[in-house]
Amino acid sequence: MRCRAYILLLLLTAAGSFANGQSAEPGLVKISFVNTVTGKPILLDSTVFTNPFSETYTITRFKYYISNLALTFPEGVFKELDSYHLVDQSNAQSLSFGFTALAGTYDGLVFLLGVDSLRNVSGAQSGALDPLNDMFWTWNTGYIMAKMEGRSPQSKLVNRKVEYHIGGFAGVNSVLKNIKLTFPVPVNVSAGKTTEIIIETDFAAWWQQPNELKISEHPVCSSPGELAKKIADNYSKMFRVRQIINP
Amino acid sequence: MKPGVIISILAIVLGGLLLIGAGRKEETAGPPDYIEWRIPAGWPKPANDIFARNKLSEQGFQLGRKLFYDGRLSKDGNFPCASCHQQFGAFSSYDHDLSHGYNNTFTTRNAPPLFNLAWMPRLHWDGGVNHIEVQPLSPITAPNEMGENLDSVLLKLRRDTSYLRMFRAAFGTPEINSQRMLKALAQFTGSIVSANSKYDKVMRGEATFTYSEQNGYTFFKANCASCHPEPLFTDYSFRNIGLPVNEFLNDYGRMRITGDKKDSLKFKVPSLRNVALTFPYMHDGRFQSLNAVLDHYNSGIITTQPTLDTLLHKRIPIAGRQKNDLIYFLHTLSDTSMTKNPRFSGELKNFIH
Repeated sequence: MRCRAYILLLLLTAAGSFANGQSAEPGLVKISFVNTVTGKPILLDSTVFTNPFSETYTITRFKYYISNLALTFPEGVFKELDSYHLVDQSNAQSLSFGFTALAGTYDGLVFLLGVDSLRNVSGAQSGALDPLNDMFWTWNTGYIMAKMEGRSPQSKLVNRKVEYHIGGFAGVNSVLKNIKLTFPVPVNVSAGKTTEIIIETDFAAWWQQPNELKISEHPVCSSPGELAKKIADNYSKMFRVRQIINP
Repeated sequence: MKPGVIISILAIVLGGLLLIGAGRKEETAGPPDYIEWRIPAGWPKPANDIFARNKLSEQGFQLGRKLFYDGRLSKDGNFPCASCHQQFGAFSSYDHDLSHGYNNTFTTRNAPPLFNLAWMPRLHWDGGVNHIEVQPLSPITAPNEMGENLDSVLLKLRRDTSYLRMFRAAFGTPEINSQRMLKALAQFTGSIVSANSKYDKVMRGEATFTYSEQNGYTFFKANCASCHPEPLFTDYSFRNIGLPVNEFLNDYGRMRITGDKKDSLKFKVPSLRNVALTFPYMHDGRFQSLNAVLDHYNSGIITTQPTLDTLLHKRIPIAGRQKNDLIYFLHTLSDTSMTKNPRFSGELKNFIH
């Protein structure tokens, strides 16, 4: 069944590619992430930010999974193969990655914020999904899809910790989010050339819309459940396309 | 033997040695010796095909066995997997309600025995772990168990040339990473099958029950088998059997995983295979003997707990003679061909704290 769906997708991609005048020669797509709080760059352990409730905080760790990424065009999608990436603010190398894509014109980008449920139930993984990356729960199997750690004077926790480890891949409290971004201008992928897509995140999205969450009330979330789901509903809106650099 | 034949043999042997040498140099090995893993006759197919993406091989199994018995997987070297999972106790912690962990700590649950894991859909008393390969991450990193972190374990293994050799033999190259380590451990623990107890021999027509054992078996089938069905002697469901909450541990079982009040106080139904060897009993090892367990089912069940299993609302009345017969039957589930199998043993014989 999956195999058939895949073939169908290939056909769709191929059909789409003709419609778009895409050639078989691939180009390189580079996706970069710029993590900010309302546009201000995040300097770990140092920049002091203020949330909508006038609570101040610093960020010590900020990591999230991007998986199952695909470029879209009106008639179909181009999927990145084996698409699992951990974006980690403390590791500059992790803030961008590249892959080859069919040349042509694309209008948007879709990805899963988190790790799909299949990889959560399939045993030991490697690469971005290696449990060494400290994004894996050992007591309740599953990936932490997004993680923020920091400090705030408004936190009641030991050492004024703020700690959000957001996970849960099944049932009503699944935090998996399909993200769809539309490009402000068409993205052209040309044979042998590099196209860069710069995505900006705004961590401030974690605090509100639709769920107002104050540090004083919720300084920690470290298990799947209702609170994790609320935070994920908020952070699903943290992405926007900042810039397209066509070749 | 003719000189020509001897020369031919020598040439073959020398050629073979040269080939082995060449292989070493390139750091890649040929495919390992794959093992066919057999399901005992009449048993159901395992819930997960644990060897589908982790093809069982002799080299993978032997690597897993070495890792299982290696203290370097723990912070101070004293707590290999085998320290809580002892072969002579069917790979449980023999005679310990809770097990010892790093730096004079105790675990918070009774270490379960390890066998027939291929049939177990979810691991741990609360079912928190969904795959045999990722289970070791939990004890390795728990501060009150092996107390170690994964980076440090891998660094220690990489410094040992015998491990480089064994990873190469099992996986083709000497790279040591967490995925390979976990897959090798799963090849060892997943291979441990217990299917050769006296009970099994009786079922196969190779032995007969005594009068008492037969009576016990009859009682078992009528009163216990709905949660502990043959041949695995568990249905792997999560149930509340009406135990009072231990006020130190405050362990509500499966609810911690699902967050659902309906799962309060539910724990996984354990297999009764090798049950005579896995005392003390229950998730916190509160009962020292089978006698005490049966007393609980007879008269100890707290029937007011809202999540108590519906099969236990009337408890399980069991008279003195029946109790003795049932215990005789339960002893027929001990499988010494597994607990004494040298293939599953390590260098650390009789490792007891």
